[in-house]
Amino acid sequence: MGKTILTVDDSSTMRQMIGFTLKGAGFDILEAGDGLEALERARGQKLSLVITDVNMPRMDGITLVQRLRALPEFRFTPILVLTTESGLDMKQKGKEAGATGWIVKPFSPEKLLDVVNKVL
Amino acid sequence: MSPAPATRPDPPLHRRSTTRLEGQASTYFDRHFQRQAMKILPGEFYATRTDEVIVTVLGSCVAACILDPVAMVGGMNHFMLPLSRHAPDPDVFFAARYGAAAMEYLINDLLHLGAQRDRLVAKAFGGGKVMEGLTDVGSQNILFVRTYLQQEGIPLWSEDLGGTYPRKVYFFPHSGQVLVKRLDQVHNRTLIEREASYLQRVAQGAAGSDVELFT
Repeated sequence: MGKTILTVDDSSTMRQMIGFTLKGAGFDILEAGDGLEALERARGQKLSLVITDVNMPRMDGITLVQRLRALPEFRFTPILVLTTESGLDMKQKGKEAGATGWIVKPFSPEKLLDVVNKVL
Repeated sequence: MSPAPATRPDPPLHRRSTTRLEGQASTYFDRHFQRQAMKILPGEFYATRTDEVIVTVLGSCVAACILDPVAMVGGMNHFMLPLSRHAPDPDVFFAARYGAAAMEYLINDLLHLGAQRDRLVAKAFGGGKVMEGLTDVGSQNILFVRTYLQQEGIPLWSEDLGGTYPRKVYFFPHSGQVLVKRLDQVHNRTLIEREASYLQRVAQGAAGSDVELFT
């Protein structure tokens, strides 16, 4: 059975690019446009990985990481943050929330796949 | 008695990223327009809530002016996509990730300043064929900016794209008004050299992203 990755970003262009990269490497993709939608989509799913943006309407990526970590089934699921934010404060917040890693946009497809394979 | 509504601190007046700056965006007082002006260079972007003018000079680069007319928050970016490393087309999609990031930097700052995503509108400029002998990077930039805005549901209010001349663009974020001055190609060697060196930096920079794994 294929591994499923949930990608969360409010930009459909960005979701398309991430999806294209990951599907090409054989992963199944679920998408959400903000943190709240991501929580709904994640419920009851067996996910291998979550990749989330930070700045999104309704619920931001850091809050999403916290909320996912509070759920027993996602306590150990790798969560990567993929964002334009590169400030140390923001990274620290992500780390404290329980993120597995931090990637700054623009992302290179090779690097993204490299990191994904590393954390899986 | 009902509790007083929580007051939110006012968002800052303007934001400019320090991480993606290729040069130093510079500010000056524009006598003609009688207001503060911010000049941005390739790779830079700037967002503001104040009544000023944002100025840039474009060759084959494109600039998107994006604003929330209700909140009177607006900003401009200035970028181009890296040339495909692999032969012509398939890689354009991946080159676009650089443009998508340039758009996202600006949009995120606008939202931080109080803009609402569903109220954003855009104007787009540049993408001229001004670099002799090089592939038409301008048209790749134009295609990107149009596709991106459409996909993100941001209406393109007006545009001045393509052609063979460089442009100077003045954007007034409060009114949303834009003035475009078409420039003489011959007298703009500096512009063309600046864009060529920017393109080189983009091509190098686009190869890797900044990654940190938390342990």
